[in-house]
Amino acid sequence: MRRGLNYTSSPLLASKTPAWRSKFVMACVVFAFTGLAGRAAWVQVIDNDFFLRQGEVRFARTLELSANRGRILDRNGLILASSVPAASIWAIPEDVEKNTPEELSKLPQLAKLMEMPLDQLKKKLEEDKSFVWVKRQLDWDVGQQIKALGIKGVYQSREYKRQYPEGEAAAHIVGFTNVEDKGQEGMELAFEKDLAGKIGSRRVIKDRMGRVVEGVGEDIPPIDGRDIQLSIDSKIQFFAYQKLKEQVIAHKALGGTVVVMDAKTGELLALANYPSFNPSNRKRLTGEQLRNRAITDVFEPGSTIKPITVGIALENGKVRPGTQIDTSPGRINVTGSTISDTKNYGMLTVEGVIQKSSNVGTTKISQQLTAKEMWETFSAVGFGQKPQIAFPGAASGRLRPYKTWRPVEQATMSYGYGLSASLLQMTRSYTVFSNGGNVIPATMLKLDKPPVGVPVFSERTAEQVRKMLALATGPGGTGQRAQTVGYSVGGKSGTARKQVGKNYAAGKYRAWFTGMAPIENPRLIVAVMVDEPSNGTYYGGAVAAPVFSTVVQQSLRLLGVPPDMAVQPQIVANPVEESL
Amino acid sequence: MLRLNFLLLVAVMLSALYLVQTQYESRRLFTELHRATNESRNLETEHQRLQVELRAQSTPARIEALAVAQGLQGASPAITHYVRDTQQTGGAQ
Repeated sequence: MRRGLNYTSSPLLASKTPAWRSKFVMACVVFAFTGLAGRAAWVQVIDNDFFLRQGEVRFARTLELSANRGRILDRNGLILASSVPAASIWAIPEDVEKNTPEELSKLPQLAKLMEMPLDQLKKKLEEDKSFVWVKRQLDWDVGQQIKALGIKGVYQSREYKRQYPEGEAAAHIVGFTNVEDKGQEGMELAFEKDLAGKIGSRRVIKDRMGRVVEGVGEDIPPIDGRDIQLSIDSKIQFFAYQKLKEQVIAHKALGGTVVVMDAKTGELLALANYPSFNPSNRKRLTGEQLRNRAITDVFEPGSTIKPITVGIALENGKVRPGTQIDTSPGRINVTGSTISDTKNYGMLTVEGVIQKSSNVGTTKISQQLTAKEMWETFSAVGFGQKPQIAFPGAASGRLRPYKTWRPVEQATMSYGYGLSASLLQMTRSYTVFSNGGNVIPATMLKLDKPPVGVPVFSERTAEQVRKMLALATGPGGTGQRAQTVGYSVGGKSGTARKQVGKNYAAGKYRAWFTGMAPIENPRLIVAVMVDEPSNGTYYGGAVAAPVFSTVVQQSLRLLGVPPDMAVQPQIVANPVEESL
Repeated sequence: MLRLNFLLLVAVMLSALYLVQTQYESRRLFTELHRATNESRNLETEHQRLQVELRAQSTPARIEALAVAQGLQGASPAITHYVRDTQQTGGAQ
């Protein structure tokens, strides 16, 4: 069958389409495109904030750039505290698969790596929370091993943990930080501002896979914390701590403390307390362990203050070192109260008063002084004043205004009762003798140049008292056990009765020894205090002086100070083999 | 006129391609820099960690324990031979 019609001759084409129809369609199309173009311009040019923001939310991220906390160094640049990366393990409990045996078998391994009982771990993973810390601040290596286990729902993030290589020996000075890396005690707290760094940030665009593609905006670089260099010498610190610990244990004492100070600069070379603690593991820590006794505790210094009383009298020309003082019959009555010596020493020179540590002699010397004179010098050497030292909780001790002193109080203060001071203050006060009569401030930070001292005594007085201190450690003195091999020493022992409540407790003592070496030109001042030795002996000369002796001897040797006394050499040369 | 337009078109195309290339390069370099900075920080931290470890292995407490275990005794002036420094005047005597 043939088709009957040609296209060109179709009758349908014969009817004319009205012109308005094509125009109408055209107008519709133009309108639609205009609408689209308008919308596009609106979205992309005029009101693009919303989409820009949404785009950023999806791809732009702010990365936190962590800053390192500064280190704490000793005077020789050795590390006392430093931050190291640590892995903190966290979990999304509902993501942890507890039904598949394969995943379950990994949990004991995880518990073992974290040194955590399995039950405790399981309990944590069953908590009804979307986020739980499983264990924070694990060693970085342990973290890597945990990562290798690949447990679903268990993640880790990088944190910083403080490491203290010196451990308990320097714990009280260095202090420690909390889990957030903030200083809590000691120098970590005192210098928190300097040590803490400032975190930085960087705005970046990440792709679908989480890779950083491009940086946007400005970076804020992190600022690392500043390193703090202390005046502490870690070798001396360790040695002082070790010797103190041995003595405290040997004498069954409650505790003890030792301070080693550079006699010329006031820098603290060591400051140790026992009992101490391990700053890296602070579980079951007691206040007793935590206390930095040398700085925060104040005691009545007892006889260790006598050299200062005698110094005042020498300085004011009231006595000379050879002035005779009658201490018989070993007692003296001051406005109704009796002050006594352990025995009747009879006639003593001023030097002898210090050597024998006579209370009666010191009282008689102090009676020639006014309360004001004594108070002024005691204040000048730092008693009753807050030490200018960057350490949290430094105690100022007690020294009452001289106007309220009664005669008997002036007498008792002359031999160290009725006022209180910390061991640090006591140590510092002795710089007046080691430093030509000038008292210098104590510092925990390494100094570039020696500080300017405040003159209290004349050079001559300082020298005279040093000679007396040497006598006190010599034959017939109370501190003979302070002697060392090779180095001349001088110092004063003290045995103070402990105050419990308002009265002095029977049988409870504090043994002190404060001294310096080499005595002609002192390099070190060492002060030792042992609290309640309860092994029969409790005298400062017997309990504290031996610690002084070993610490002085080792410290001077470590500092490279040649001996100033003749030493019997015991050097054994290599044995020579006899020829056959 | 047509020729000039054509040339301009080519120039625009080339410039556009170059822009894409530069953009790509800049992103690549940024990523590299970011990675390198991270690595440098990581290495620095690692360095610090190792330094602490080194220090922990050489503390006086450890040395003392090791020395005692080997039967060594501490030095004292009695077993020290002191040498005078004759070169420097006013130095250690």
